[in-house]
Amino acid sequence: MAEPINLQPDEDMTFWDKHRLSLMLILTVLIALILTVVSMIAYNASGTAQLDLSRPGVSSVSDKVDRTDKITEYGAFGSINKDSINEFTKLYDEQAKKAKAVDAFNGDPLNPEILEFGVTDSNE
Amino acid sequence: MKRVLLTLTAIAVLTVLFGFTAQTAHAQSTALTSEQIDKIKSNCTSIKSTLNQLHASDALLRVNRGQVYESMASKLMDPFNSRLGSNRLDSKATSAVTTSYRDALNGFRNDYKSYEEKISSALRINCFDEPELFYSTIEQARVNRAKVHDDVNKLHRYIDDYRQAVGDFLLNFERISE
Repeated sequence: MAEPINLQPDEDMTFWDKHRLSLMLILTVLIALILTVVSMIAYNASGTAQLDLSRPGVSSVSDKVDRTDKITEYGAFGSINKDSINEFTKLYDEQAKKAKAVDAFNGDPLNPEILEFGVTDSNE
Repeated sequence: MKRVLLTLTAIAVLTVLFGFTAQTAHAQSTALTSEQIDKIKSNCTSIKSTLNQLHASDALLRVNRGQVYESMASKLMDPFNSRLGSNRLDSKATSAVTTSYRDALNGFRNDYKSYEEKISSALRINCFDEPELFYSTIEQARVNRAKVHDDVNKLHRYIDDYRQAVGDFLLNFERISE
């Protein structure tokens, strides 16, 4: 036989008893908001935002990321002899050539003259 | 008491003077001629378009170059140093270059972040309404971009230094092995 349900009269209920569901919902939304703000701060402060090519303004180049350049990792364990060092130098020279092939961020594209708001020489 | 008051007054006056001088210097550095203001206003759209293109191409460059530079350290330098260490061989020279390389790589990341933040804020400024602010933000971005280029040069130098250190190690190794 089922036990009788103990129903508490409304006047005996505390504020927490009456608004438990609403308070839980508010608390959940607040926690979600706080976690989102913390995530956004971490995203911007860590420099991850700068690597995110799905952002508006840079998404046009996201398909141009070099995904083909797979570098062979040199084994951290094993013996050291002339052959293993030569194997390393061969790998290293190949990769160093690729790394130095591009003189990245050279030039002065933000020069006022290039951006067409430089001062015109009055003698011209 | 009088001396203390005099000293405090002198410090206050100097602080105000220094602040004023610094502010004037800053104002002078961002001073624009009326001709430049007109040019910024009339070319506002085309300047923003150029900045947008530069922003996107530099973001791609950062990602692609960053991968290559990171791989140099994590896939080549670190494993080789570890292998030397596990064989109880002297890895001081190569490890020292790797540490400097990692520092330069951190500098590259931080300086690029500063540069990107400046160029992004320049893109958010209305160059028609605020040409002076737009100009000074571009100038700061320009300085930061030059720093990123310096970091790239530093990284290239450390890549050469590491190769040199490995070469020196090989010479010593051969001499000992004979």
